[in-house]
Amino acid sequence: MPIYNPPLRTVDIKETRRYAGLSAADFSEQAIIAACNEMVYLAEPRGSWEMYNYDNIKGIVSASVPFRLQGSKILKHLSHSEKVILLSVTAGSNIETAIEKNFHEGSYTHGLLLDAAATAAVEQVADGLEKNIDISIKPLGYKRIWRFSPGYGDWDISCQPHMLRLTNASAIGIEYTSSMMLTPRKSVTAIIGLVPETDPFTPQRPSCATCPQKNCSSRIQ
Amino acid sequence: MLNIFDGAMGTILQSAGILKTGACPEILNLNNTAAIIDVHKQYISAGSTIIETNTFGASSLKLSHYNLADKVREINIAGVKNAKAAAQGRCKVAGSMGPIGRFIDPLGDISFDEVYKAYFEQAHALIEGGADYLLIETCIDLQEMRAALLAVKDASPAIPVICQMSYSEDARTVTGTDPQTAAITLEAMGADIIGANCSTGPEELLPIVKILADNCRCPISVQPNAGMPHLIGGQTVFPMTPDDMGSWAPKLVEAGASFVGGCCGTTPAHIAAIKNAIADQSDPIRKSPLKRLALTSRTKTIFIGADLPTKLIGERINPTGRKKLAAEIKTGSFISVKKEAVEQTNAGADILDVNMGVGGIDQSIAMEKAIKEISQIVPTPLSIDTSDPKALEAGLKAYPGRALINSVSAEPDRLKYFLPLAKRYGAAVLCLPLSDKGLPKTGNERIAILKKIITAAKKFGLHDNDFILDCLVMTIAADKTAAVEVLTALSLYRSEFGYPSTMGLSNISFGLPNRPLINSTFFAMCLAVGLDAPIINPYDHLMKNTLLAASALNGKDSNGQKYSLYASDQAVDKPASIIEITDENIIEAIKQSIITGEKENIAGLVERALKNGHSSNEITENALTAAMNIVGKNFGAKKIFLPQVMLSAEAMREAFLKIKEILPAQLAKSKGTVVIATVKGDIHDLGKNIVSALLENNGFKLIDLGKDVDNEKIVRAAIENDADIVGLCSLMTTTMTQIDAVIASLKEAGSTAQVIVGGAVLTQEYADSAGADAYAADGVVAVEIAKNLTNKRKNDSFPQ
Repeated sequence: MPIYNPPLRTVDIKETRRYAGLSAADFSEQAIIAACNEMVYLAEPRGSWEMYNYDNIKGIVSASVPFRLQGSKILKHLSHSEKVILLSVTAGSNIETAIEKNFHEGSYTHGLLLDAAATAAVEQVADGLEKNIDISIKPLGYKRIWRFSPGYGDWDISCQPHMLRLTNASAIGIEYTSSMMLTPRKSVTAIIGLVPETDPFTPQRPSCATCPQKNCSSRIQ
Repeated sequence: MLNIFDGAMGTILQSAGILKTGACPEILNLNNTAAIIDVHKQYISAGSTIIETNTFGASSLKLSHYNLADKVREINIAGVKNAKAAAQGRCKVAGSMGPIGRFIDPLGDISFDEVYKAYFEQAHALIEGGADYLLIETCIDLQEMRAALLAVKDASPAIPVICQMSYSEDARTVTGTDPQTAAITLEAMGADIIGANCSTGPEELLPIVKILADNCRCPISVQPNAGMPHLIGGQTVFPMTPDDMGSWAPKLVEAGASFVGGCCGTTPAHIAAIKNAIADQSDPIRKSPLKRLALTSRTKTIFIGADLPTKLIGERINPTGRKKLAAEIKTGSFISVKKEAVEQTNAGADILDVNMGVGGIDQSIAMEKAIKEISQIVPTPLSIDTSDPKALEAGLKAYPGRALINSVSAEPDRLKYFLPLAKRYGAAVLCLPLSDKGLPKTGNERIAILKKIITAAKKFGLHDNDFILDCLVMTIAADKTAAVEVLTALSLYRSEFGYPSTMGLSNISFGLPNRPLINSTFFAMCLAVGLDAPIINPYDHLMKNTLLAASALNGKDSNGQKYSLYASDQAVDKPASIIEITDENIIEAIKQSIITGEKENIAGLVERALKNGHSSNEITENALTAAMNIVGKNFGAKKIFLPQVMLSAEAMREAFLKIKEILPAQLAKSKGTVVIATVKGDIHDLGKNIVSALLENNGFKLIDLGKDVDNEKIVRAAIENDADIVGLCSLMTTTMTQIDAVIASLKEAGSTAQVIVGGAVLTQEYADSAGADAYAADGVVAVEIAKNLTNKRKNDSFPQ
């Protein structure tokens, strides 16, 4: 399965601010920039992916062992997709050590900001992988719709073992725990629907306004 | 003469039903030679002067998908034979080599050497078959192109090689290489023809052809797709008609292309249209690129020259005299190396010098690793600084760009081993005027040694724009003419060679007091007579200020714009403290510092307050606790946010540490003991860490068991420490049931601790049903609850 480790040369300051719950706050930009800069050399970006045919009537990913998707939102999201990309990405485990060290030494704020920067970083790694995937799908006449991860909507995270297996994620060091969490902690799996370029179907990315987690600190007001 | 390539092969075979979906196209070279020859003939009839063999995917790495890896030689030779059979001497044959479909480490999981080996095998077979050119095409990664180009050159130094990369709509390859960088890097490595194909149509490739043409002396080739594809009725359709395609061909030639053809979606009709459209055109008129030294990374080119702003070579990735960095490299960790790369780049370094001179290690392994790690995270071109030819080759091979070699002296071994590596990997050379006869004293002696190096380098095939000259700085404490001779040398370098110059400056002041003054003064003098790229510490403000001022003075900073911007910013006064701190208001000052999270001031304030007779109790209650109460209220009212609360907690920590340092007995008692853990199966501990930090800095004794903690361990810690509170955290629905189990176990074991629970998925309802004593939605609430619960249990006197 293709492996691509997207270089991470900057970490998005605005997204880091949001993940740190600081969207609306007057907070030292320098402190956020410092965390973002540090993340550039702490992160170990890795990505692995595979393209599969997809039966959008039955919701089945046509792997050697077929993988049935469960959850009304994911099925609706992929209802026009003829193929799907499954991907796994991680920002690595160095960052865990650094965050723990900061908390241990009393640099709580920096630890917190590093955690937020790591979240922004892993999403950027996924973005970088998507860009790389485009070279494989454009000649086929497909466009990709936004990536959907286990845990979104009613797509249960119990599917993580399948997601990891179908992306050969062990090759990039991602594993799952008995409670279906990914390690390293800053790792993500996702599915991307491929819709023919000529199909006008472009599902809207759900906004924070529709999310039931009203107290989420990353919520965009 | 303009050359016309052919167009797509696979789509014609597919539409004729010869190539089935999912089948290997290249096996047809053996199984259906007639069909392949027929397609070639169609293109020759359409006017192609060069046809491509049907071997795009005929490397062992690609053929292995069809279990045909053992047929590389056979398939490639047959591919050339088929093309030659069709050509009958009427046109040339280019052996096509497409990408291997994987990325080279560290972008991907395959080694440079494995990729090189696969290309070498394929190139060897194509040459054996009799190809006139080798065409490396559709490449999206400069490092893969470098491996392929080296393989072709090794398979046959004589065969002309065409290097075509594939650029997306943003005019970069998917891995970020721009056409200028590709042109410079590949020309330096010996590409004969440089070009672009696939990904986009002629309109998008037109500006790319222009940039390629402006940045190298090689002929330029271009093979666009017939526009951007659409999927219609299950079929991939390229929209551009032959006439549309033909209409772009003259523009591509005017932009600099002398080889024009087609890629995906093009047919013999498209090629005929191109042929007709440029029938009356002759070779494009190209202006010669400026003779300047260029260095590249995968995504960036920088130029060094007398007419350009001074470039800084950052010297900090060097373990010499830096024990911590050396020890880290020795253990195989490169975090500090990467840190220096990022921070020097942010500090303004244009090039990074990389030295792995650590005793007792294999420097070639360290250099390879360092180069890979650094080139992944910064776009800054690199200088490989080593005296070990093996380490040099490891670094040059791993580097996806045109590096600088630091350095080549006139010592026989350097000339013998370093110069061929410079040529092979397309690197530039830092020439050091040092010979086996010793150190030069005068400027003229330096010139004589440099001439020897440059003459030898040119014999190995290097050119005028491959050199930068070092001045070899000696110390003035040992030789009073040392500085003057360097200044003389700089002037002579300009007049004798015209190549750019460099030097490490700090040696000049060795043995003298106030070295920064000597260094910066010498720096200014050197800049005045022509120093182009100093090797310095980019964090050194004095040197950077000197450069800014010198650049304004010597005209490299137009009208002193950069200088003005920087200097006026420096002149801004920092806001003065709003209130003057007195003995009367010091408690209030501490309180305000906690609220605003100014941890730098807090220890000094606490010390001053204690010295002036304020009790630790007064400081704790009236300043620290009072401040945290306000912080808590502000957080609850969403006036401030979590990172701001944590800044206050950090300031609290500093205050407590200072009190503890001065009056250790005063903090002996805590507000209560808290055992805290993230439950079994849950690896998220950020929230738990925040709660721990806040509780600890509000006077609680914390026993933090970490994450993914067994139920038994939590219960045992609670009993053994007679915990007042047990804090349990769970972030996921899959682990929150552990909270029920821990609470049940605590009760069963007879623990009297109050249980507070929290975490993203938890709610008050869940806490109630699990039998918890309290639910805390966030860390600030947790502190309040903990205080209330412990006050109920006992009246502690923290701190007395």
